[in-house]
Amino acid sequence: MSAVSPPAPVVYEASGLAKEFDDGRVAALQGVDFQITAGEFVAVVGPSGSGKSTLLNMLGLLDSPSSGSLKYRGDEMAALPDPARYRAREIGFIFQSFHLLGTFTVTENVQIPMFGQGLSAKAREARAAELLDSVGLSHRVNHLPVKLSGGERQRAAIARSLANRPGVLLADEPTGNLDSKNAAAVMELLAQLQRDHQTTLVLVTHDREVAAHASRMLTMRDGKILSDSATP
Amino acid sequence: MTFLTIVFRDLWRRPIRTALTMLGIAIGIAAVIALVGMASGYEKGIVKQLDVIGIDVIVSNMEGGLMPKAFDEAIRDQVAALPDAADVTTVFMQMLSVEDAPMIMVSGREWGGFTWEKLTVVEGRMPHDASERAVVLGTMAAEMLQKNVGDPLQIETEEFTVVGIVDGHSLVENGAIILALPLFQEASGYEGRVNFIDIRVPTDASKERVEALCRKIEESFEGLRAVRASEVVGTSQGFKIAKAMSWSTSILAIIVGIFGVMNTMLMTVFERTHEIGILLALGWKKRMIMGLILAEAAVMGLLGGIIGVLLGAATLAILGTLPEVRGLLEPDLSQGLILKAILIAVCVGIASGLYPAWRGARLSPSVALQG
Repeated sequence: MSAVSPPAPVVYEASGLAKEFDDGRVAALQGVDFQITAGEFVAVVGPSGSGKSTLLNMLGLLDSPSSGSLKYRGDEMAALPDPARYRAREIGFIFQSFHLLGTFTVTENVQIPMFGQGLSAKAREARAAELLDSVGLSHRVNHLPVKLSGGERQRAAIARSLANRPGVLLADEPTGNLDSKNAAAVMELLAQLQRDHQTTLVLVTHDREVAAHASRMLTMRDGKILSDSATP
Repeated sequence: MTFLTIVFRDLWRRPIRTALTMLGIAIGIAAVIALVGMASGYEKGIVKQLDVIGIDVIVSNMEGGLMPKAFDEAIRDQVAALPDAADVTTVFMQMLSVEDAPMIMVSGREWGGFTWEKLTVVEGRMPHDASERAVVLGTMAAEMLQKNVGDPLQIETEEFTVVGIVDGHSLVENGAIILALPLFQEASGYEGRVNFIDIRVPTDASKERVEALCRKIEESFEGLRAVRASEVVGTSQGFKIAKAMSWSTSILAIIVGIFGVMNTMLMTVFERTHEIGILLALGWKKRMIMGLILAEAAVMGLLGGIIGVLLGAATLAILGTLPEVRGLLEPDLSQGLILKAILIAVCVGIASGLYPAWRGARLSPSVALQG
């Protein structure tokens, strides 16, 4: 008799998830259903306007659905009592245009999500140093973002997304503003962090090459999921 | 990095705008310090003068402008006959323009009355008697009028000789021209009239006995008010008006400051919509966003308040040297006033930040991120 490992817990579960804008004139999501389990690396691909960023915003509780259900670890997300706590503790965001705060140094940017989490200033600094070291930016801690290359900025943003040890990373076109060399390096870093920390990673991209790093690919068009398959 | 680092970094982002906004608050606070400090200086000056002379009760007609209206000096003897009126003297005091001084206190005092007692001759002598056409000048009055012993001095149309320079041990006394009552009554055309009766009570008189004396005077002489010296400033209509005016002007200046900070903070929120979106996406709670904006507004208030206190103190110092003010009051900058002014400034900052903070905190993260 062989040992069977228990199935990974479901992190996200969507059913009939829809989102409309402009009083229903624009249907960004049209009743999508999917499940994402813990530790998965899922790429959501599709052309512009397919609804992939809208979906990511809902996973990150930056937006709420017009109808349907979206659950996080069994709890309806729309009913979560403290959305800010969820965003701070459960997820880490990585954006296409990095969204680092220009007046703060790299280490300060990494510390920003740690405010309000009960950490002392020393603990925040130590954690930021550790994260920046893990993304290879320990030599850039006191630089302002403007002094960094695109690849370095995205690595700083990745370090920031890990500030509160989230279970889920949500990345919106993380290589969209990078050249191919930096894009490859960032994707390698993300994949490695996902493997090392067993983090659930949901990545939105229109680039199939980037999506190939994932283990599963959701293909979207016109607010619907066209296919849900393992990457080759 | 602490929360305050974020606050200061945000304020430093637009240093000129931050400085100008703080200056707006500072001007309001400087107005508070200068105006209230002047009113308070006036109050302290009067209190000290009464204390130095040793007056227990003051009788005056509270009608009138800068000085109480004059009344018949014959009332003095009737007041002196009342129990507990141990020592009584009359004074006729006016604020006049004398020679080069635009406004100076001239005090005609009953000859031999106790109001002469505490004057210490610094130079020259006291007048020989009530008929000598002589005046003594308080040290500051001598300086303001640029007079020495022996110089002539013209009051209204009459000429007198300065026979002495005296130290009255209080600013009001030192800023005055002092002469015998009949001379001043004649010079000013108020023969037989005075506007103050000063009373000393027996040393063992209780507060109740003094109050009883005051009531008795008010009942006996219609239109006159008798107040204990310690209460004279608080009950003075002129002082109440001066205090109300100083605070009203200050409040107007503060309101201007409030709108200035509110405008700056609203602009800051609009400019930082995108940044607020990032903070919300990174898990900052709405109350943290509110706290950040309010803290920035409060810090501007605090720094503006400190600058305002310095500006106000400088204004007070300058005002204290003006000929219109010198000798009449000593601008007062007490610790209590400084603390009150800074507290007002911080409250102004917080009050001005409330609406912008609310606007910032209610931004939708997804919309703000696009902003």
